[in-house]
Amino acid sequence: MSNKTKNLCSLALALVIVGFIACSYYMTDKTSMIRTVLQLGAIYALAACSMNLLNGVTGLFSLGQAGFMAVGAYVFAVFTIPVSKKAGVYYLYGVADWLKNIELSPFIAMILGGLVAAFLAYLIGIPVLRLKSDYFAIATLGFAEIVRILVASSLFNKITNGSLGLNSIPKFTKVFGLPSYFTPFIVVAICITIIMLVVRSTYGRAFKAIREDEIAAEAMGINLAKHKRMSFIISSFFAGVSGALLVQYLGATTPTTFPIAMTYNILLIVVIGGMGSMTGSIISAFLVTAAKEWWLRFLDVEHYIGGFHIPLMRTGFRMVVFSVILMIVVLFWRRGIMGNKEFSWDGIYNFFTGKNKKKKAKAEAAEGGALNE
Amino acid sequence: MSKENVLRLSDVTMQFGGVVALNNLNLEVNKGEIIGLIGPNGAGKTTAFNAITGVYPPTNGRVEMNGEVIAENFPKGKMKGMYKGQNEGKYTKSVMLTPDKITKRGIARTFQNIRLFKELSVFENVLIAKHMHYKANLATATLMINAKEEKRMREETMELLTLLGLEKNKDDVSTSLPYGKQRHLEIARALATKPTLLLLDEPAAGMNPQESDDLMHFVSKIRDDFDLSILTIEHHMQFVMGISERIYVLDYGTLIAEGTPSEIQNNPRVIEAYLGVDD
Repeated sequence: MSNKTKNLCSLALALVIVGFIACSYYMTDKTSMIRTVLQLGAIYALAACSMNLLNGVTGLFSLGQAGFMAVGAYVFAVFTIPVSKKAGVYYLYGVADWLKNIELSPFIAMILGGLVAAFLAYLIGIPVLRLKSDYFAIATLGFAEIVRILVASSLFNKITNGSLGLNSIPKFTKVFGLPSYFTPFIVVAICITIIMLVVRSTYGRAFKAIREDEIAAEAMGINLAKHKRMSFIISSFFAGVSGALLVQYLGATTPTTFPIAMTYNILLIVVIGGMGSMTGSIISAFLVTAAKEWWLRFLDVEHYIGGFHIPLMRTGFRMVVFSVILMIVVLFWRRGIMGNKEFSWDGIYNFFTGKNKKKKAKAEAAEGGALNE
Repeated sequence: MSKENVLRLSDVTMQFGGVVALNNLNLEVNKGEIIGLIGPNGAGKTTAFNAITGVYPPTNGRVEMNGEVIAENFPKGKMKGMYKGQNEGKYTKSVMLTPDKITKRGIARTFQNIRLFKELSVFENVLIAKHMHYKANLATATLMINAKEEKRMREETMELLTLLGLEKNKDDVSTSLPYGKQRHLEIARALATKPTLLLLDEPAAGMNPQESDDLMHFVSKIRDDFDLSILTIEHHMQFVMGISERIYVLDYGTLIAEGTPSEIQNNPRVIEAYLGVDD
């Protein structure tokens, strides 16, 4: 395929996506499931991409995602609750004096949320990034739990409102004069573009080298500590932003909004999409959200066919089916939907013409060989 | 010596717990030389490489490159009481550069058990080794302000691949290459860091005589083309005798002989180490 056709295809695809999102706004009503899935899917796509940068591209298996999202979310919430509503939100414990008259613009607060998450990543990265594989995972998991407990603790009652959580958080605000419905898509698109540009740059290649072989990467002049820290900080920044987006979507947050299960949800999106593939993460974020929130909903309701009560279908059955589907997907796509490749027109073209088969067989043979070693 | 000194190891001792893996090694590599480092299994050859490239600091001794100290250490802490080597007290500084810093000074290496970036393409493998030569920082690289630099690096990588006969495989996954080419790729990757000294850890391992003969010519060629000094560990005697200007022989961590290939071949201690003694 020539570059010209590729560019045309990309343009067409972008138009289709933009058109689809626009249609979802102009052709559905406010409570439509499509809107929910698209907005939530976009937010999860950003969370998944930021996690993918660390777990999939750099090969640092972190389980701290929910922690960084919680930091971003709380920083956003604390600084954007309207001054007039503060008394109502903090009715039980009162609000800290320095916070009383602060109300930031949502976009500044979102960036601030990301920055605070990134700064925390820098701090905990100093000890934690020395750890390898499983130990790193456990340490970051511990961090996420600490964040949740600190947020809920009475220590910060006047800021985080303890276990009562925060509400009256402003919903999405307009950007570029477009309806506020489009804001999360625009923010997510910008953030994911930045992440993808990082991965494409020479720094992204250095991250991949660290994933493939730390010792060889270091012998090739890549400063391990510096690059791991870089990846950890970038990933946490965008995790913070995605947390801020999520509270804007929800309008309220409590410490239980960001449980460890949130990390696993996002990890699941990353794994299904393919570790190391941003486009995979985006696709799977929407698929997983749609399946969970929408397509499988009917399983939660009791059904009768001609008076016959269908067994098993009751509240919660949806998640059982969802888990089974997951297992099947993981069994058949061992490396996720996209593997570690990004979406490319060549890939699509080869997929349909079967040109890639020979190459693939070769790669698989090599992989098998590697396993036998 | 009239020749310019590239690498000098002085009294380098490596002790792991109670085991002395390398005992008082003195070694010199001069500019443009190809030096062989041989010895039976477990003689401490790779340990010497690791001490040079900063994988771990020597227990005692000094490593210098172009007259600058890149590693120096003396027994301290727990090692102080259990140190079994010599020259204790001769060195009093503790200098330890990490492997990436040493690579930046111009020492590149290959690995005994090939360590390529497995899932990446041949092209990316070599391009990654150029990472440290990029002047762009994270922001300028992300926003593609360094497009010119990126283009230049890609051209250089392509040139290098062409020179090493890997241009046809540039888009292949590195592990899908045949074994011999993987070895070539490792050397290509090391060369991409623009070294002045190249350390080859058993480059001819697993090769048949024809292949190792080809490799021999290849190594001398890159020495001339890239103006390198080369230190190589090798078990293939034919290879090492054919290529080296001087050879160091290690046995149980101790240097037992040093000299030209013909001197080494006739050295009784070397024959003893390799074949054992007649009772």
